[in-house]
Amino acid sequence: MPTLPSMPSGHSRPSTSKLMRKETGGGSGLLAMVLVIVSLVLFTFNVGETNGGPLTAVSGVVQTIVAPLRLAGAGILAPFAGMSNVMRNLTADEKTLTELIEENERLQARNVELEEAEVTARQLQELLDLRSTYNLQSSAAHVIAGATDSWSATVTLDKGTSSGFVVGMPVTDSSGAVGQIIACSATTSTVRLLTDEASSVAAMIQSTRAQGMLEGTPDAAMRLSFIRTDQTVNVGDIVVTSGLGGVFPKGLPLGKVSVVDRSPGSTYYSITVEPFARIDNLEEVLVITSLTEEQQVTAEDIEQSDAADMEAASGEVEKVEESSKSNEVEEDTETTDADDEEGSSSKKDEEDEEIEGAYVSPYSARRKED
Amino acid sequence: MQVKDTNKSRRSHIALALGCFLLQVMLSPNVGMGYGRINFALIYAGVYALAVGGRQAVITGFLSGLLYDALTVGPLGVMGCLLTVMSLALGLEERNRFSDGFVSALSAFGVGSFVVLVLYHVALSMLGDSSSLVDVLFMRVLPSFALTFVCFLPFAYYQVRKSMGLRGKHAGSKSAGLRENYYDIRNL
Repeated sequence: MPTLPSMPSGHSRPSTSKLMRKETGGGSGLLAMVLVIVSLVLFTFNVGETNGGPLTAVSGVVQTIVAPLRLAGAGILAPFAGMSNVMRNLTADEKTLTELIEENERLQARNVELEEAEVTARQLQELLDLRSTYNLQSSAAHVIAGATDSWSATVTLDKGTSSGFVVGMPVTDSSGAVGQIIACSATTSTVRLLTDEASSVAAMIQSTRAQGMLEGTPDAAMRLSFIRTDQTVNVGDIVVTSGLGGVFPKGLPLGKVSVVDRSPGSTYYSITVEPFARIDNLEEVLVITSLTEEQQVTAEDIEQSDAADMEAASGEVEKVEESSKSNEVEEDTETTDADDEEGSSSKKDEEDEEIEGAYVSPYSARRKED
Repeated sequence: MQVKDTNKSRRSHIALALGCFLLQVMLSPNVGMGYGRINFALIYAGVYALAVGGRQAVITGFLSGLLYDALTVGPLGVMGCLLTVMSLALGLEERNRFSDGFVSALSAFGVGSFVVLVLYHVALSMLGDSSSLVDVLFMRVLPSFALTFVCFLPFAYYQVRKSMGLRGKHAGSKSAGLRENYYDIRNL
């Protein structure tokens, strides 16, 4: 271990106060006084700057320059942000923990309530949007029950005749039409859904305006009938109400074409439609209480529809006549007996019936809808 | 009086200044106790005043305080003024006071920093930042002082060891520091 060199003899150590007097010489004090005055001047000016000024601007520049560093610091220290709570949590007593557990349960229940309210509010907002978009004269209702039997697709609403509902009124949700009221009591209404086997709505393909009837099926899908094979239908086409039935307003969304099947020799497509509405999960719906003038179908629309149907029917008749002629030629060449003639005539009768059967216009079919 | 004002010492102080600046910007806003925050400008000014002292410490204190004021939402000049005075007081002897020992340095810094923080917060409360002096003292001054003082400890420890030349195998011995003081006196 090194030893201290010995102090020279006769050389006494000067005192600290003596050193101070020798070293400072008042220079530091004077400088400090000047800097204090500068600080006070800066302070006075800075406090006097009400709507910004040079000193405030300088401060702002410094803040801007160090902002990325502050951000980085916050990012680096983020994982340790909760460490200050660790000790407090460790020393929490039983009563505090019990209270926290109870409060947590209460808040969870409240959270569920609020989430439910949020969903309802969103659904109602969507209904209001739909009402606004289509200018619907309507009243909102809540679905309180589903079908009471396994054969029908119906729901029960919480409003009835006391709210102005009557049988026949169309019902929609935020995504489009869902059905029609088929029974009303004072406080409830029963709605037959579009997917019910007994349901049918005058509909059309939105893009091509091809008109038909949208009917429910036993397998809860929907089938669009009476769309002629000379018209264009593609998977994904939107199906909307045509308004020809006089019940639904024109142009309400119904669904989307999911399957298009064209059998050889058939006059009409077999089209399956996937509904837009969440038929199985209905909660809030709009009941359309009346149609405005522009929502009702015009006489011109009906005429156009009839003309198209007549054209389709005449084409079908010609086709069947040609088929009959060819049958007659075949019959001439063959030996016939009375029984055969009877069979032929009965076949012809059947074909005639088929022609008549084929001639079911969407407009005439609306009687079914009505 | 500075006996060994070498480039190494200057670099060391620049590194200390940079470190304190980064800590003030990055760490201080994110570490708190109540309303208390660590004041690294105060730490740097204190370390410099105790280690070097004199005119340089006064200027350093002033600039540190001014930078602190610019980094906070308070008015410019308050901390600048206070740190100037504190640096003058701590660095009056113009020698490395860390060589007096750890406790001596802590005592000097503790008193100086507490007075500075009390005056700073009282000044701000008079400007309307807080209406209650009790709130100022217990919610702001004491937590800030505690945090700042705790953060000063490693700086002080490093400076004490450095001043006593205990960075090698003689760590823990007082002889080197005493020897340095002896040569300082001889050079008078």
